[in-house]
Amino acid sequence: MDTPATHLIPPAPGPEGRRAVGLLYGLTLAGTLAWLGAIFLAPFLKSRSADTAAAFLYAFFAPLCHQLPARSFAFCGYPLAVCARCLGIYAGFLAGLVLYPSVRGFARLAVPSGRLFLLLSLPIGLDYAGGFVGAWASPMGVRLATGLLWGSLLPFYFLTGLGELALRRAARKGRPARPGAGADKGLVDSGRKNV
Amino acid sequence: MAIMNELPNAPGDRKPEYLGPALIAGGVAGVLTAVPFLSCLCCLWIIGGAVLGARLLSRKTDANLTAGDGAITGALTGIAAAVVVTFLFELTPLGRISTDFFLKVIERWAATSGQTIPQIQDLKQLQTRTGFSLPGMVIDLLLSSAAFALLGVLGGVIGVSLFGRKRPPVFPQPPQGPSDATT
Repeated sequence: MDTPATHLIPPAPGPEGRRAVGLLYGLTLAGTLAWLGAIFLAPFLKSRSADTAAAFLYAFFAPLCHQLPARSFAFCGYPLAVCARCLGIYAGFLAGLVLYPSVRGFARLAVPSGRLFLLLSLPIGLDYAGGFVGAWASPMGVRLATGLLWGSLLPFYFLTGLGELALRRAARKGRPARPGAGADKGLVDSGRKNV
Repeated sequence: MAIMNELPNAPGDRKPEYLGPALIAGGVAGVLTAVPFLSCLCCLWIIGGAVLGARLLSRKTDANLTAGDGAITGALTGIAAAVVVTFLFELTPLGRISTDFFLKVIERWAATSGQTIPQIQDLKQLQTRTGFSLPGMVIDLLLSSAAFALLGVLGGVIGVSLFGRKRPPVFPQPPQGPSDATT
């Protein structure tokens, strides 16, 4: 699973590619802050009797989360728009994003190894499975922590996937349209893993 | 010629068919997201569905898949799941059943724990659907599609990292001519 595919490792993206990945990073960071802000904004608006706006925000997150008050942290006297586990995942995503430039930088795109993914998925998986079969009911702090741990890994997948698409697009703009134009230009290198 | 067709494609020479795997995986994820009780897995069904989409794409494609392939498959899976969820919630009794289920869970928890939940009436008003509304359905669909597509990107790239690796392409050696030693 972790065998490096050396035939897919081209040179690192050039300055234009790094700029594209940096722009994507900035947009993702802004979007994540807005996403987390909306989670806290819903109960805040509810506490200020702005019911319509609060209802819209709660409804936005409803397909993504069960929103059970018993499993959600409260803010301004009302439950957040997502449960503790989901909050952990989104907050972890933000933490991973903050760490991203120092861990990976913008000069290369690579996904984490399968082993690391499985390792960090184990706590949230066990926590969920135990609750599902009724073996235990973990407190909200544990749900938050396991979500945080797992979420911190996710930006490395998200930015790699979208970054590669951005680099493909940059490659297409740089030369006449031809399928896979980025591959031989050293712009598409995210098929590899960081072992 | 037959040998060339059997060879895995080079990364730049193929365009995987994303739609088929994405529709199948999106359908599965959408149904699981809409079913009461199972839906308590939250957004993880969408991410899991996108992983499944990447897995299906990997089985259909001979070439190594890249993270970009996973992102496209995952985004399409998320959109397909959003269509399924919106359809099931708006046009079938599943939405009402799901809402009732969660309200009962909340009320039972409040009764057994001895706590009062002042927001429960608000939740009932918030979550109770008053009937079919086409504009409401379109807005639901657009918002769900955007959110699920982003989650699907995550799942698709994770899926490719787990299942997208194939054996390196082996190119046929040119036929050996007679060596100089024999001449």
